[in-house]
Amino acid sequence: MAIGPELFFEDVEVGMSIPTIEKGPMSTAHLMRWSAAMENWHKIHYDKPFAIEHDKLPGLLINGSLKQQFMMQVLKDWVGPGGWVWKVSFQFRAMNVVGETMRVWGKVTDVRRTADFGLVDLELGILNDHDKESTPGSGTVALPYRGGKPLPYPFVAPSA
Amino acid sequence: MSELTDALKPYIGQRSGIEVACDSVETGAVRRYAQAIMDEDPIYGQACDHNARYGGPVAPPLLPTHLFRRPLGTEDPIQANAHNPDFDGFVAAPTSANGLPELMPLRGYALLNGGSDIEFFRYARHGETVTVQSSYADIQEKQTSKGPIVLVMIESEYRSGSGELLMKTTRTAIRRK
Repeated sequence: MAIGPELFFEDVEVGMSIPTIEKGPMSTAHLMRWSAAMENWHKIHYDKPFAIEHDKLPGLLINGSLKQQFMMQVLKDWVGPGGWVWKVSFQFRAMNVVGETMRVWGKVTDVRRTADFGLVDLELGILNDHDKESTPGSGTVALPYRGGKPLPYPFVAPSA
Repeated sequence: MSELTDALKPYIGQRSGIEVACDSVETGAVRRYAQAIMDEDPIYGQACDHNARYGGPVAPPLLPTHLFRRPLGTEDPIQANAHNPDFDGFVAAPTSANGLPELMPLRGYALLNGGSDIEFFRYARHGETVTVQSSYADIQEKQTSKGPIVLVMIESEYRSGSGELLMKTTRTAIRRK
């Protein structure tokens, strides 16, 4: 949970980094808790012989479905309740395994104005303890103008 | 074109009906989910200033994608596979869930999550029902250094019970032997 000060479009500049969030070190208990919460029991996350011997994986994998929550959270916490995370996109390019700590990061790549609010594009990712990137991605958030109208809710995508 | 690609081609474009999650957005399920993702944001709990604009307590943004669970009275895949050493435990595979037909040519293939593109429009509130409609957007066979893989792209629209759009997703499932 991290609700920071209210963020406005004018506070954002291309190239700035957003606050990172850290998760872990990830244990089998973390993964079992997530499996229980989403009611899915894919053995590659808790059955080590199955993961290694049957599915030929390097170890127990941290769920992609869990990592995607972190990608969302890093943006949601940054924009706060006045902003809106419109788009998130990511690819699971490398595996994260039990024992790793993950650092979720974001960096502003572009800012754009629309009539009623601003849009901010970001590069995103998840680094492990060895600074290896596993989940390259991108996102677009909407932020209100300082002194401007609140964002529409439900969010209405700006016309292209 | 390979035999596998030929066999998968008829699935591209197939669309599910509108599936209704068997449970509504429950307060206890929201709490367990928020704790599991280690995001104990107060907007998921009680009504507060920060969720006032959402109309009250909401679910974590991606929870609707995990609401499509096995209803009571349907076959238990874990028990049904109790003697199957190849059963991977994946009981809500993107290839068979949400009303889409199972990709029969890929039966027995392992599954990995390849990534997603997601657009958010609003959060699901506590007590709301959620629906989904999905389609196979594309299926591509690729050769990699570790052998052939199949990329399955599934587009889904999640809506509230009243029909309001919550999010759109395009997920990529990686299937391999």
